[in-house]
Amino acid sequence: MQYLTLGLGSIEQGLIYAILALGVFVSLRVLDIPDLTVDGSFVTGAAVSVMFTQLQEPLGGGILFPVLSLIMAFLAGAITGIITGLLHTRLKVPALLAGILTMTGLYSINLIIMGDKPTVSINGMNNIFTPFMDMVGSDAVSRKLAIIPVILVVLLITTLALVWFLRTQKGMALRATGDNEEMVKASSINADNMKVLGLAVANGIVALSGAVLAQDQNFADAKSGVGTVVVGIASIIIGETIFGKRSIINNIVSAILGAIVYRIFISIVLQLGLPASYFKLLSALIVVIAICVQVTGEKIARKKVRRANKKC
Amino acid sequence: MLTLENIYLTFNPNTANEKVALNGVSLQLEKGDFVTVIGSNGAGKSTMLNAVAGTYMTDSGKISLDGEDITNMPNHKRAKHMGRLFQDPLKGTAPNMTIEENLALSYGRGTRRGFGIGVRKSDEKFYKETLSRLGLGLEDRLKTKVGLLSGGQRQALTLLMATIVTPKLLLLDEHTAALDPVTAKKVMDLTNSIVAENNITTLMVTHNISDALNTGNKTILMSGGKIVLVLEGEERKNMTVEKLMKLYSDTANDAFSDKMIL
Repeated sequence: MQYLTLGLGSIEQGLIYAILALGVFVSLRVLDIPDLTVDGSFVTGAAVSVMFTQLQEPLGGGILFPVLSLIMAFLAGAITGIITGLLHTRLKVPALLAGILTMTGLYSINLIIMGDKPTVSINGMNNIFTPFMDMVGSDAVSRKLAIIPVILVVLLITTLALVWFLRTQKGMALRATGDNEEMVKASSINADNMKVLGLAVANGIVALSGAVLAQDQNFADAKSGVGTVVVGIASIIIGETIFGKRSIINNIVSAILGAIVYRIFISIVLQLGLPASYFKLLSALIVVIAICVQVTGEKIARKKVRRANKKC
Repeated sequence: MLTLENIYLTFNPNTANEKVALNGVSLQLEKGDFVTVIGSNGAGKSTMLNAVAGTYMTDSGKISLDGEDITNMPNHKRAKHMGRLFQDPLKGTAPNMTIEENLALSYGRGTRRGFGIGVRKSDEKFYKETLSRLGLGLEDRLKTKVGLLSGGQRQALTLLMATIVTPKLLLLDEHTAALDPVTAKKVMDLTNSIVAENNITTLMVTHNISDALNTGNKTILMSGGKIVLVLEGEERKNMTVEKLMKLYSDTANDAFSDKMIL
């Protein structure tokens, strides 16, 4: 029973971080920009979500505000992406530094959003899961079974919207910007605007995942952002290593599955007795190991080709 | 059609590395002109092309295209009316996107990119027809990633992309220099036929003197950031590769000895 709860718990977390992975995928893989804004925008999403959810206390409205809070979180995240994008394209700040600057500034902004409190709780209020929780019993397993489909729906909507977007003319221009900027300019596309748009979409999705996490945990924590970008990158690289990266759809599915695999792996290691304080180190190490596997895999493949050519 | 009036451009002004790249360039292209540009390394050929394309903004002078002043227009806006090929065959295409996606991107040149679907089914037939004229079999590989093609195939594809929406001006910057002789000839022949068919005004930089004389209707020789010789009409017809080669090396030596004196 304990393992079932644990397993369902890591799937629940994995699905939330899969949304995060989609956002990081847009900046890291589509735009080819390692965007550190993520550590800030993830918390911005959580902060906006809890503050907006709290509006139900004076105003009522059932789950209207929790659901609206997800959209507001996306928009707030998009704004943080636009700031990084403008710093990078208009002021020519290198992308890494632009992300660091926004992320640092966001630490204060997030506290301001949360009314100068390091944590804000929405315990006892309606959240996006409330109607479904009411349908099931109060034991841990059935609660998780009520929560998971809701997260799955949010993930599915995000995925479909992203796939659709990347196949539109705008989305294609966005992908080309990350692939070959010279060519994009020669095709009369404003590459700078595309980067700003891409970072807006990326951080919007990241903030959405932060909001879903806040709804799931019933609180927002101003300090919870540290290392978020590494979790996103880990999910993407694990996904690519195990599930491939042949096409855009393959890439996106890989990122989602990678996030779930990552979460399951983490909970197994923690279950084996690793103290929780090692969690961030573990995240970083997983990225390094996954990259090692990718690089060696490519080397082995090349060696195989060489050996096959020798035989001919 | 394209007019350059007294263009000056200096790199790293007021520093030890100051370099006058364009030193008063004036040039007039009529509609349908195919001008070839030759000159030694550092003569300012590519810089002139970059100034026309808007990659570099000029210090003074005026550039106009089809009567419109484009001197201060950013390069992505100028690209609405210009097709461009670089020496590096990898520069003109997006490697991780498919052939049809690359074509669709350039087919949208000059239009606003909206939320319509990127690669329309209805355009597929057109892409196939366009590709089939390359004679490279690419029409059966629409879903292939461009990164898997050879340099020559990519340059040929770039040529198609640059002209799929007929541009007012085609800029070719040594676009066959990195290709093997057979492929280079193929791409050059293709360039000639596409340019002739659509009567595209073209400016081509080349290091191949015989290409410079045998293609197009005008040849200009650049040296030290200036146009030092314009060949057209009878004079161009009577010009041989040897004679031009001599003129070419004379100007190159002049530029060289100027520098030595300084």
